[in-house]
Amino acid sequence: MTNAADQLDQLLTVGEAPAARTKLQLRGVSRRFGAVQALAKVDLGIAEGEFVTLIGPSGCGKSTLFNIVAGLLEADPGGEVLLDGAPASLLGKVAFMPQRDLLLPWRNVLDNAILAAEVEGRPKREARELARAMAADFGLKGFENHYPQQLSGGMRQRVALMRTFLFDRDLMLLDEPFGALDALTRAMMQRWLLDIWSRYRRTILFITHDIDEAIFLGDRVVVMSARPGSIKLERRIDLPRPRDPALLTTPAFNAIKRELLDAVEEESMKTFASGAA
Amino acid sequence: MRWLRASGLAALARAALPLLLLAALWEAAVALLHISPFYLPPLRQVLGAMLALWPAYQEAFLVTLGEAVVGFLAGALVGIASACAFHHARWLRDMLFPLFVASQTVPVIAFGAIVVLWFGNTLLAKAAIAFYLTFFPVTVNALAGIEAVDPRQVALLRSFGASRRDIWWKLLLPSALPRIFTALRLSAGLALAGAIVGEWFGASIGVGAMLLAALFNEQVVAMWAAILAAAGVGGTIFAAVALLEGRLVFWRDEL
Repeated sequence: MTNAADQLDQLLTVGEAPAARTKLQLRGVSRRFGAVQALAKVDLGIAEGEFVTLIGPSGCGKSTLFNIVAGLLEADPGGEVLLDGAPASLLGKVAFMPQRDLLLPWRNVLDNAILAAEVEGRPKREARELARAMAADFGLKGFENHYPQQLSGGMRQRVALMRTFLFDRDLMLLDEPFGALDALTRAMMQRWLLDIWSRYRRTILFITHDIDEAIFLGDRVVVMSARPGSIKLERRIDLPRPRDPALLTTPAFNAIKRELLDAVEEESMKTFASGAA
Repeated sequence: MRWLRASGLAALARAALPLLLLAALWEAAVALLHISPFYLPPLRQVLGAMLALWPAYQEAFLVTLGEAVVGFLAGALVGIASACAFHHARWLRDMLFPLFVASQTVPVIAFGAIVVLWFGNTLLAKAAIAFYLTFFPVTVNALAGIEAVDPRQVALLRSFGASRRDIWWKLLLPSALPRIFTALRLSAGLALAGAIVGEWFGASIGVGAMLLAALFNEQVVAMWAAILAAAGVGGTIFAAVALLEGRLVFWRDEL
C-alpha cells in the first residue's frame, strides 16, 4: 500500500513550473491517402505541461493528425515528428484516449484502468493498488469492482481517463473525450479535468468540436483548416486559472470566441462548398 | 413467478418444470386419446424398460457421451485455432476456407462410411464424425467474433505498445467468446448426431446402436428409450457448455 501511495505521490508531484521546453514538435507533416490529401504541412509545437486544444471542421484530418501523433500512422516522408526534440517512433510513448471509452465489458473498473499499465508489463497487483489509490480522484471510489455496463456515461469516461493517466506518459492525446456526454455532465467533466490536470501536470493535446470547451480548457487553441488540413490559426488563451464556469459569460471569453468562431466558420463553409461535410 | 428467478435451486426447477409438464402431457395424451402403443407407448412403459436394463442404458449413455465429447472438443479446438489462423493470415483463409465449405457439402452419412472404413469400429471413428460436424460452425462463428472487434479498440491497445500476443489474449479472444459459445451450443447437438451416425456403421454399444437395433426389431418401446437416452447425452453436453458459458461470458446479457 505504501508503495502504491509513494507512486501516487510521484504521479501527483507538480514538477517545476513548466519551462518553455518543447514536448512535441511537428514540422511540415503531411499525409496523403491515395488521391486524398488529408494533411498538408502541419506545423505545431506543444510546450511541456501545456494544455493545447484543437478544433476544426469535420473531415479536416484531425483524426489523421491524432493517429500520427499516437504513432498509429506514419506521416509522409518530408515531415518531422519530434518528441523531446528527437525524432522518435511514437507508438507506446503517448497516452492516447479515443472518442469512445472503449472499455472492455469483461473487466471491472480497476482492471480496465490498469489495461495500459498491464500491457507495459507492470505487475497487476501493483497496478491495481495504484488504481485503487487514484479512484477517489476520478470520482470512482466505491465503484472499483463495478463493470462498465453498470456505470453512467460520465463515469465510463472517467475510467477511460484514469486508464490514460495510469499509462504514465508525459504527452496525453485526448480525442473528444466528452463528445458523447450531455451538456451538464460535460461541463462538470471539463472542470474536473482541469483540476486533475493541474495536479498531475501532463502535456495535453485535446481535440474537440466545441469552441467553448476549447477556450475553457486550453492554454492555446489551434484551429485547423478545411481539407487538406493544416494549422489555420493559433490563439493563446490568457484567461486566468483556475477557471470556473462564470468565465464562459465574460466579455473577454466572448471576444476570443467571436474570433475563433469566424475562423472555424470560414473553414466549415469551405468544407461545405466542396461537398465533404 | 419471482420465486422462479431467485437462486440456483430455482434455476434447476425452471429447467425441470417444462420437462415434467411434457412428461405429464405425454402420459395424459396416450391415456386420453387412446394412442396405439405402436405410435407412442406410454412414458411409464418406456422408463420401465430403461430401468429394467439400466446397466445397458448406462453403458450406452457413457459410450456415446464419450464419442460425442471427444469429437466436440476436437472440433471446438480446431475451429477456434482455424479462426485465429484465418484472421492472422488472409492468404491462409483464401486458400483453406473454400475447402472447409466444400467439406460441409459432403453428406455426413457418406463421410461416416469412409471414416468407419478407415478407423474401424473405434471411438476414434465416431469422434471423427462428431468432429466433422462441429469444427465448421465453430470456425465460422469464432472468425465472425474476431472480425467484429472494433478496430479502434485494436488501435488503442497498439497505442499502449501492446504486442500481437497481448492483442489476442486481452482483446480478440475474449471479444469473440460470446459468438464462440453460440457455436458451441449449436455444436453440442451436432456432435451427438455425429456420434450416433458413426455408431450406425456396425457398432454394438452406444445409444445409436441401440436405436438401430430397436428399429430393426420393431421394438417401439426400446426405440423411445434410446431416444430418451440420446436426449440425455445431448442435454448433458449442452448443460456443460451453458454452465461454462455462464462463468466465462458473464457480461453477455449486458451488452
